[in-house]
Amino acid sequence: MKVNVDKTLVASIALHVLVLGWGLVTFSSKAYVAEESLPIDIISTDQLAQMMSGQKTGKKEEPKPKVEKIAEAKAEEDAVGKVTEKKELIKTNSTPEPPPKPVEKPVEKKPEPPKPVAEAKPKEEPKPQEKKPDLAKEDPIAELQKKLETKKPPPKPVEQKVAAVQPQQQPKPKERSFDPAQIQRDLDKRAATRHELAGSTLNASASLGSTTGTAVANVATWRGAFQSAVKRCFTPTYNGQDAEQYEADIDIPMKIDGSLASEPIIVGVRGPSRSIAQAIAESAKRAIVQCQVYSFMPKQQYESWKLIPMTFGLKDML
Amino acid sequence: MNNALSISRRRFITLTGSALAVAGGGSAFAQGQPRIRIDPTEFQPVPIAITNFLPGTPSDGDVGNGVTQVITNNLKRSGLFAPIDQAAFIERISNMDVAPQFQNWKTINAQAVVTGRMTRQQDGRLKAEFRLWDVVTGQQLAGQQYFTSPEYWRRIAHIISDQIYERMTGEKGYFDSRVVFVDETGPKERRVKRLAMMDQDGANVRYLTRGSDLVLTPRFSPNSQEITYMEFGQGDPKVYLFNIETGQREIVGNFPGMTFAPRFSPDGQRVIMSLQQGGNSNLFVMDLRSRSTTRLTDTPAIDTSPSYSPDGTRICFESDRGGRSQIYVMAAGGGQAQRISFSKDDTNATYSTPVWSPRGDYIAFTRQGGGQFSIGVMKPDGSGERLLTSGYHNEGPTFSPNGRVLMFFRDPGGNGGPSLYSVDISGRNELKVPTPGFASDPAWSPLLSSTPG
Repeated sequence: MKVNVDKTLVASIALHVLVLGWGLVTFSSKAYVAEESLPIDIISTDQLAQMMSGQKTGKKEEPKPKVEKIAEAKAEEDAVGKVTEKKELIKTNSTPEPPPKPVEKPVEKKPEPPKPVAEAKPKEEPKPQEKKPDLAKEDPIAELQKKLETKKPPPKPVEQKVAAVQPQQQPKPKERSFDPAQIQRDLDKRAATRHELAGSTLNASASLGSTTGTAVANVATWRGAFQSAVKRCFTPTYNGQDAEQYEADIDIPMKIDGSLASEPIIVGVRGPSRSIAQAIAESAKRAIVQCQVYSFMPKQQYESWKLIPMTFGLKDML
Repeated sequence: MNNALSISRRRFITLTGSALAVAGGGSAFAQGQPRIRIDPTEFQPVPIAITNFLPGTPSDGDVGNGVTQVITNNLKRSGLFAPIDQAAFIERISNMDVAPQFQNWKTINAQAVVTGRMTRQQDGRLKAEFRLWDVVTGQQLAGQQYFTSPEYWRRIAHIISDQIYERMTGEKGYFDSRVVFVDETGPKERRVKRLAMMDQDGANVRYLTRGSDLVLTPRFSPNSQEITYMEFGQGDPKVYLFNIETGQREIVGNFPGMTFAPRFSPDGQRVIMSLQQGGNSNLFVMDLRSRSTTRLTDTPAIDTSPSYSPDGTRICFESDRGGRSQIYVMAAGGGQAQRISFSKDDTNATYSTPVWSPRGDYIAFTRQGGGQFSIGVMKPDGSGERLLTSGYHNEGPTFSPNGRVLMFFRDPGGNGGPSLYSVDISGRNELKVPTPGFASDPAWSPLLSSTPG
């Protein structure tokens, strides 16, 4: 008999211990989850600037080609470089400033028509660079003669331009046959350098946020809103130096539509003078009633604000 | 044994269950909502609607309007209320015995409504009735009726103002009170100074002396029936007692030298003052019944401007025993005095004219420093010093009966003269008090309706 009794008791104790132990372990683990810390990364200003310019770590599964590599990117870089080179040329022409200008213009305009072929540009550009310094290096005595020669050509370029325009008009009818791929290629070439910094392609995989955010479940949201709404109407009439000692606890029964379910209940008042404390509590009651209806309260969380406990104080009055 | 087994198991289960219940209860308690706390940072006056007091008979219209105006003015000047302009009223009260339509008053944001009626009775007396309504809750907060002689209609208005003030703030009012002051007329070099008395709002000015002799520092007795002051007569300046009702006056004590800066004790049985002896002055107290005098200080310095604490156990006064004028506190019977005024920003600042608040929580003072005269308050232990107003010349603070407001005089200098001003002890709501001419040295009386006699 004794043995049987002990066994059941032992079994019962063991079961309870197991259940309690399991409960302790699970609850404690939940507690740890609740206390999960928020990782904070310290970043430098450079990193921040980089982040602001675009997403650093996008999905690399489908890297979109930023540019269709039909032509070499260098060609366009050179095209950009043209401008700087021209400036340099202007600088070098310390004495014969006017002559080279007219020379440049016709040289540049001539290559323009064949733009569609990007590769052709760089070939042409270095030429004027080389030529012009050469001109400058050549006999300074002969400059005057060349100036005279160069002054003459200005009217010529006009003719050349006209001539240049004509060939452009001729290919146009050919373009009407229209090759969209060709245009796309041209466009991509122009946009190639722009996309590298903050183009839409870089941010294509960036998240715009979840459609089911956690803001709705944020208790602090309605508490703060309710607090500021009531504060707007609270006009206590006491501001003595012992004001911080006065407090009134008031419970507010609420309806789901944000109106008061009944009159606010003065739970307790504190302060050196009972009559002043009571007046503060009544002032608070008036504020609560006057500022209703609190229609902004989230209905889905009604259970959490069915009864709102509040404390009215005068700590910051002076 | 089975019994033993079953009991032990039951006990075990019970213990376990109760332990779990305690744990559960604890967690439920922990989930309780914390209270939302509200501490307003800005002070805002309470919007209140004061309707015209209805005339009980057609001839009572003027007095009804007068009472309404006095109440409105009182509450507005207090700084705690913002009376709403009658032009904004939606509802016109025609019967004060019927509750107002509160929605009409909510619309104009009134938190309270005052209704009333003035009726001249067949015996010639005036009957004044009023009701104070809480607009938000729709409840009557106060309702009273008074009978008085028609000439005291202003006093009735002040008493009603006090009722409204007390019901709304929880503090005693101060409107049914008087101020005694020194009225100054004439050019600066030949200024005539008369003792004058008026209601706290500047109405009903009465002159108590003719102006042939210079008067200074008048102070009310606790029953508001007597005034003690200093007068320069033929000989040395002396402290006098003046009975307001009878007009009789008498010298306080028979001291060989000049006596000045008198003030009543809270029970009205004694007068404390300074007596000049050579280059020094010391504090003396005289019992008005036995005429016996007691020396309170004996120092080679100037001790003056004594003022009792409301419970009569302590005295604050100014003394230059430390080299410069500062405020000291000591027991009412004399003894060691403790200095309480210490300027934080100006070591050369001096403190003078201390006055203990009727509530006992503050001592008001005049501070001179940095080329300015300031009126301020500090706690009786010297902490919490706060300057309420500063300027070329502010001096002589006096507390309202409820200790919420200070009155003082300000002299702009030049050919002008001093005027009376009031300021809230928080430093807000500084207002000029209307007086017929120049005015200085104000002293506020206790609340008339609460004083015996």
